[in-house]
Amino acid sequence: MSVELYALFSYAFTAAIALVMIGAVVLLNKIMGGNDEGGME
Amino acid sequence: MDSGIIAQLFPGIASLMVQDTTIAIARIALIVFGFVLAYLGFKRVLEPLIMVPMGVGMICINCGVLFLDGGKTGTLFLDPLISDPAALVDIMQINFLQPIYNLTFSNSLVACVVFMGVGAMCEIGFILANPWTSIIIAIFAECGTFVTLVLGVHLGLTPPEAAAVASIGGADGPMVLFTSLMLAPHLFVPISVIAYLYLSLTYAGYPWLLKLMVPKALRGKDIMYYAPEVPKAKKFIFILVCCALLCLLLPMAAPLIMSFFLGMAIKEAEIVPYQDLIESTLLYMGTLMLGLLLGTLCEASTLLNPKVAPLIVLGVLALTVSGAVGVLGGYVVYWFKKGDFNPVVGIAGVSCVPTTAKIAQHAAEDEDPFSVVMPVAMGANIGGVIVSAIACGVFIATIGMVK
Repeated sequence: MSVELYALFSYAFTAAIALVMIGAVVLLNKIMGGNDEGGME
Repeated sequence: MDSGIIAQLFPGIASLMVQDTTIAIARIALIVFGFVLAYLGFKRVLEPLIMVPMGVGMICINCGVLFLDGGKTGTLFLDPLISDPAALVDIMQINFLQPIYNLTFSNSLVACVVFMGVGAMCEIGFILANPWTSIIIAIFAECGTFVTLVLGVHLGLTPPEAAAVASIGGADGPMVLFTSLMLAPHLFVPISVIAYLYLSLTYAGYPWLLKLMVPKALRGKDIMYYAPEVPKAKKFIFILVCCALLCLLLPMAAPLIMSFFLGMAIKEAEIVPYQDLIESTLLYMGTLMLGLLLGTLCEASTLLNPKVAPLIVLGVLALTVSGAVGVLGGYVVYWFKKGDFNPVVGIAGVSCVPTTAKIAQHAAEDEDPFSVVMPVAMGANIGGVIVSAIACGVFIATIGMVK
């Protein structure tokens, strides 16, 4: 794999993992419910 | 008086005479540079916690050269090149920093300890208040890492070396140390020194970048911040879930991920003795040793490696691109939220906790003293730490794919 292609792949992979992680947190928050006030965006 | 007696009386000076001229000049330059770093740390122009011990270490390692057995020159600080176990045990009883180097530095323990301290200082509530905004800005602000990787390879570095220097774009000291030790251990000294030097300079450089990229009218914009009152038990569960998920996806970076989330978990669990231990002892002990060891590793011969010159350029580039693209990320959120956002928060996606968040806040209050962006900026900042850790794990696990 060329370095340019690898940079694109690794950036996309990093972003995907970060979004999956934050998605899991948001989903878990919805499942657990019960924030006192306000809420996640 | 013959030269033998002078060498015996003043080996530090005599060694300058017998060494190669380039090395001798570089030694003198590094002594001066060490003075400059320590003094700028003292004046708070650079980060004193790192720069004062680093400057002192740099001065002493380049002054304290003496003649060893067989007429070779060396010091009584440490020898980073020893790898034979028997020789290592012998040298540990001579060089006073050798045990610290081999038992805490070359295995990344010190990076993990500092990262644990960073975790203990981070409040997960900030990222929970704006999870998507925080992580999207952080993803944008990681761009410099990947741009620098490509340029590094085109400047003649091998892919692992380029990835190690590119990690400066994440603006996270322990992460740079960890990545360079894993991918390019022969270059970790110059990479780490450059990284810590530049991270200290972000405080001076990024405000200019904000002035350049964000018009005055937008810089002072206040952001409405709704802080959800998340129960502590829930925050604790989130920390454990994130930690487990990231370790599962990126086992190569698991030591660093565990250290960060352990610090966070201890903070949320309010285990006061551990909090005190991490925040007031381990973090400062780790930072002191980090600065001192980086300084003492700055021997002239190490920094005269021809590969160091491109690192200096790539380090600046990585941080500049990350900062600029982070601000672009701020504009994307501004556009997405139909103007209800301040783009200066984008700079906080560069994960230099809490420096870049403070820079965003200062930029906003310079235009409007009542403007508050700090809570949102802290969310982006913590998101930046997480995304940097992910990028570092991705590099370590997959850099072999580049041919």
